Amino acid sequence: MKEFLRNRIAAWARRRQGLDVPPFSFHRRRIYILPTGLGMAFTVMLVVMLIAGINYGSSAAMFLTFLLGGFTLVCMHQCHRNLLRVFFVSASAPPMFAGKPGVLRVVFSSDTSFARYGIEVAALKSPNVGTDVPARGQSHVDVPLPPSKRGTLLIDRLYVSTSFPYNLFRAWTWVHFPIEVTVYPRPHGSLPMPSESGEKSGPRSMTIAGSDEWQGLRPFREGDSPRQVAWKAYARGAPLLVKEYTALGAELRVFDYSQLPQLDIESRLEQLTRWIVDAESRGERYALVLPGRTFEADSGPQHRHECLSALASHGLTKDADAR
Amino acid sequence: MRGKDGESLAPLIWTSTALVCGVLLHIDRLPLWTSATAALWVGWRFASELRSVRLPSSFAKVGVTLAMIVAVLVQFRTLNGLAAGTALLVVMGSLKLLETHSMRDRSIVIGASLFLLLAACLDRQSMLRAGLYLIHAWVCCTALAVTTRGRVAITNSGAAKLSARSLGLAVPLALVMFLFFPRVVGGFWTLPQTGAATTGLSETMSPGSISELGESGEPAFRVHFEGTPPPREQLYWRGPVLHDFDGYTWRQAPGQAYVKRPVTYIGQPYRYRVTLEPSGNRWWFALDTVVQSPDRRKVQLTFDNQLVARDPVNTTISYEAVSHTETREEGPIPVVARRVDTRLPEGRNSRSVELARSMRAAAESDERYVADVLNMFRTGGFEYTLTPPLLDLDSVDDFIFNTRKGFCGHYASAFVTMMRAGGVPARVVTGYHGGEWNRIRQYFLVRQSDAHAWAEVWLEGRGWARFDPTASAAPQRLTNALASLIPEAGSASERLLRDIPWLFDLRQRWDALNDWWNERVVKFNLETQLDLMRLLGFESPDWRVLGYALSAGLVLWMLIIGWQVARGARPAPVDRLAAAYQKLCAKLARAGIPREPHVGPQAYATTIRAERPDLATDAGVLLSTYTQLRFGNEISEADRAEAVRAFERAVRSFRPSRAK
Repeated sequence: MKEFLRNRIAAWARRRQGLDVPPFSFHRRRIYILPTGLGMAFTVMLVVMLIAGINYGSSAAMFLTFLLGGFTLVCMHQCHRNLLRVFFVSASAPPMFAGKPGVLRVVFSSDTSFARYGIEVAALKSPNVGTDVPARGQSHVDVPLPPSKRGTLLIDRLYVSTSFPYNLFRAWTWVHFPIEVTVYPRPHGSLPMPSESGEKSGPRSMTIAGSDEWQGLRPFREGDSPRQVAWKAYARGAPLLVKEYTALGAELRVFDYSQLPQLDIESRLEQLTRWIVDAESRGERYALVLPGRTFEADSGPQHRHECLSALASHGLTKDADAR
Repeated sequence: MRGKDGESLAPLIWTSTALVCGVLLHIDRLPLWTSATAALWVGWRFASELRSVRLPSSFAKVGVTLAMIVAVLVQFRTLNGLAAGTALLVVMGSLKLLETHSMRDRSIVIGASLFLLLAACLDRQSMLRAGLYLIHAWVCCTALAVTTRGRVAITNSGAAKLSARSLGLAVPLALVMFLFFPRVVGGFWTLPQTGAATTGLSETMSPGSISELGESGEPAFRVHFEGTPPPREQLYWRGPVLHDFDGYTWRQAPGQAYVKRPVTYIGQPYRYRVTLEPSGNRWWFALDTVVQSPDRRKVQLTFDNQLVARDPVNTTISYEAVSHTETREEGPIPVVARRVDTRLPEGRNSRSVELARSMRAAAESDERYVADVLNMFRTGGFEYTLTPPLLDLDSVDDFIFNTRKGFCGHYASAFVTMMRAGGVPARVVTGYHGGEWNRIRQYFLVRQSDAHAWAEVWLEGRGWARFDPTASAAPQRLTNALASLIPEAGSASERLLRDIPWLFDLRQRWDALNDWWNERVVKFNLETQLDLMRLLGFESPDWRVLGYALSAGLVLWMLIIGWQVARGARPAPVDRLAAAYQKLCAKLARAGIPREPHVGPQAYATTIRAERPDLATDAGVLLSTYTQLRFGNEISEADRAEAVRAFERAVRSFRPSRAK
């Protein structure tokens, strides 16, 4: 019921405000405010105080009630002001893997002479995550995104709110700024990586033996193969690190969708993702062959992203976006 | 400050502070065990945070909670009423502190603290306490800010400043609401009030049992007269009237002893308003013979002209009354009254009775007899003192024949005994006499130390007549304050106040302020409100006018607050130097030499020199000033602001002529 109401109001606000194009600041006409549960309880307390004050004819109790009543109204203004004219600079989310939580980074700034406290953002029913925006400064907040299916995750609106100070009121605004997050397939599968290729130039045996040149350690990134994690270091208390090698022989691999007939479509995509992630982290060159699309052998983040994006959208029409 | 698990303790500390402050507001009226247990729970909670002390299990907590409720019930015989409710709040609020782990829990404790504040407001509202109440409200609001801040990076002092600002902005609204919110006459219900302290006069008087009279300078009541007040020696403030004597102790008559008969008032009536401090007693004090009850629903005028209220006076009350200082009652005294007021205990004070009989026999009339007895007190070697010796059970005999030292109670008791023994109806009247004239606000302040006892005697053809035997023994007692009569009276601080004029003056001012507070703030009611509206120019104000005033004030406040709060939300001031430079360039452009966007100020100056030599000097100075201010670093930050302003002025007065 609450969810339904919220969606309806958000939809109404969208019709009213239209789509947002960052950077923009929150105008007073788009900031809504309502008392919180605590605010309601506080109001009930004030009513009780007023009745008691009237009943006893106590001037002190009456004044106290009026003072706290005024305090509540001031709090409403302060809460509203805390969100007013905050600049919504940008919101972006790096591609994420299916089944794993993602992260959305929202950047705020303020050109006013006072700091903003507890500016909170929620997306797709995530909990509110807050940040403080310094006076004439900038800050960002990382909103967790729920695990999702392969394809594209569409964030159609953001809920930006604040209950500062006193948590008696919550002022909020909806940001209608559709963000499409690419959701790569889940890296999964245990088939050995195809290593032969037409014009191979390095000795194959060396790669299999893992005799690539040791390059060093780097922090674990989403999608790295567990086989490359420096488990020994981890056991000693170090953070998750990944061993990096450079392929000596500039190994060239071809990952072909049609070469995996024994798997269903999703499993094939997951296996291909696994290989791409592994190959990329080892610095190998690889090519991807999908039905109707081919990515020439290459390496690097751009190539990896292109390949994985192709896997993400494989077989999905634009309309069937995962929501 | 951080607890043993590294979490910030600030929310807990502030919440506890709010609660402890709430308890402190009531500390003098709470049963000791409630404050002690509250301290225990607070201490326990902090012990568990700082050391490895375990908190009680939830089972134990339920048990303790029930035990506490029962204890409050046993103590007060009720859970209803202000005193019991306060104790319950203290006990439950502090128990809740044992399990405050979330923001919600802490908010509940802060709520309990605010309710303690409410109870304090309902209980007592003197000016000094009002200051404490404001501080407490601020502590509670700060606690709320700290406890709800979550991960927000606002500091504790920041939260304290914030809540001070929020409350400060709320004050104007509170004032508007306070002045114009229509007051209801009478309450909806009354709660039993218990636990109020009792001060002032008591229902009985045993002069022989007191060896030192209390010298409390506490105010008992204040009186504003309409018109000229009566002379000082007429200021007898009537309280309990005592009829029954057992030879040692005087008591009130049980019930209505006899019927009050109409009297003729002599002389001018005095109209006045009394503001009575809470005493826990039921007497409303009035000047001598009051014409009628100030408020028939609340207070009754008895047969012996006492004002006895239905409820004890637990809050400051004020009432208006009309009194006369002299009356006449024709006809004989009713038989019952004569019997009641000539009764003496059998076989007690026999020497005094003997003396009285012989004196009465020697006098030709009752009037003569009264004068003789008063004369005896004047000339018989009696001494007025506040530290009389204790008396034996035949207290009057002991006083008249042995000690001859005493204060008003001794004289009144002895005088009335003598009257009764001589067959003249007489009664003891207790109350206050005199008062300190406050010249700042023109009123009499009657203190507890002005307590007095005198006598009333029935004289044929005159009715009840007032006589003050103390005045015979110590005539100055009537015209001067007690303090000036007996130099050693009163504490050292009292004497100090008396002897230093400016200190005395300061005390008068302070009391005038308290009087103003009681009259204007504590007793603010519908009537005062309507008076205020008349003062504001409304012909015949009613609650609707109040409503208009209230709404107008509310709207005005909302506008001001909205403006005040949102003021900071406007964009930060632009770079004034840049703005002035823009203006300068615009002026030069109008004069025919626009600056290309890529041209810097120095190059621009060169261009001007080449194209418009007539402007070169003025423009050159301005541009080099700008260059200095913008890029130079030899000017200090403080001087810079002034220099920028000077530059602005220079640009404003710079008027380049157009190209020919």
